Amino acid sequence: MRLIWWLATVVTVSLVSIFLSHHHATDPAHNLTLTVSAPLEDVLYDAVHPIDNIYEGIADRGDLVRENEELRAEIERLQAELASRENNDQRIAALEDALGVKLNRPDDKLLAANVVAQDPSGQKRLVAIDRGSGDGVEEGMVILSRSGSLVGTVATTYKDYAWIRLITDPDSAVNAQVEVNATQPGNNTSPLTAPSATPGAATPSVTPAPTSSETTSVRGVADGNLRQGLVLDLLPPDANIPKGTLVVTSGLGGNYPAGILIGSIKDLQQRPQAAFKKAVLEPATQLSSLETVLVLVSFKPARLEVP
Amino acid sequence: MRYAGAFLVAWVLAVANVSAFSYIKVLGVTPDFVLIFATCWAVIRGEPEALMVVPFAGLMRDLLSSDPIGTSMLGFVPIVLFAAIARVQVIDSDFPPTVAVVAAGSLTFGIIQTLVLGVTGQHIEIWQVFIRVIVPGVIVNALFTPIVYLPVRWSSPRFTGLRGSRGLASPYS
Repeated sequence: MRLIWWLATVVTVSLVSIFLSHHHATDPAHNLTLTVSAPLEDVLYDAVHPIDNIYEGIADRGDLVRENEELRAEIERLQAELASRENNDQRIAALEDALGVKLNRPDDKLLAANVVAQDPSGQKRLVAIDRGSGDGVEEGMVILSRSGSLVGTVATTYKDYAWIRLITDPDSAVNAQVEVNATQPGNNTSPLTAPSATPGAATPSVTPAPTSSETTSVRGVADGNLRQGLVLDLLPPDANIPKGTLVVTSGLGGNYPAGILIGSIKDLQQRPQAAFKKAVLEPATQLSSLETVLVLVSFKPARLEVP
Repeated sequence: MRYAGAFLVAWVLAVANVSAFSYIKVLGVTPDFVLIFATCWAVIRGEPEALMVVPFAGLMRDLLSSDPIGTSMLGFVPIVLFAAIARVQVIDSDFPPTVAVVAAGSLTFGIIQTLVLGVTGQHIEIWQVFIRVIVPGVIVNALFTPIVYLPVRWSSPRFTGLRGSRGLASPYS
């Protein structure tokens, strides 16, 4: 009899709590618990992180050796490319100066935040940061990595903390675009190419993209996915995108600024008769080991704009 | 005092679950030490203590994750019921029933959590969640049970009086 009463009480309290939590009534409790637990989280993380590195090192040794070789080749290629681009950069800078064009959004305001927790559920890809509504962080704001690539968006905010939905979360969808060579279908040269992290993938050509060929933008949606991590969906069926091609935000919809690096094409899935093509993406940043992120506080996503 | 100790351990494990342990993936999932601890406590220490410790462990897990508060409290309810069944001992050890309850509890918790997340608006790929999260979670949690089981058992009053007499066997036998 006691067990039945207990069962009824716990189930009722749980359901009421879920309802209240869904309507943000329990946010102060979340915030308080994260605040109290933060020092312990740091201690535990520092204690386990070296072990974690050893564990990852053993597990990934083969991949690391291969990746190291690829990176050496890539450094060499980039050095050669850098030399040839310096002149072009100077010319572009002079032209931009003359036209008054601003590149890379220099006026962006960024707020640095530390990642303090990862959601333990395997069903979501969320991390918590130590900045919240008290710091000006709002739901929907865009999160970047230290190098400026897309990490995700703010999913929930508390006073001092916020949960970030990573781009690999099943609930995440980002309008994206890829620059591909339009005149030579199947040609593996593209003006925007990066080394593929896929073992055995073809290294991009050292030769810069031919200036005579035209490039066109192919648009799709970068969806989070439990199976493949990040997938570029809704691509035109005739799109032929080489591995390593960089994928950036398109800016469509107004929820993300245009031109933020998302990742690179890892594998283009060919499906005969399919209405759309899909491509598996390699995120530009290592999302599983994030430590510091940047909140783009100056960009107000469309969903945050007051009508 | 015994509850204070259990609550403290549940809190520490819940914190570790979202910080230190979250970086360690086995079969693509992180072992849920809060669930394992709650289960071990319920099987070893009995129903009266389970009625207090299991919901508290669920609450700690909810407060430190992005799930709505109440999800784990609700998801852990079957653990108490499974533990009650497991304590009707048919074998001379607590350990196999504990592993069985951890596996069954992980399965029911995964299902309940998926339902709650689905109802509260989370996009759920049911088949993918089952194959990639729930089933690996059942296996991984069962595999990691001894790490939590042994300390809980050694701290149990019914074991401390008989320490050294048996390994994983039941002290009642």
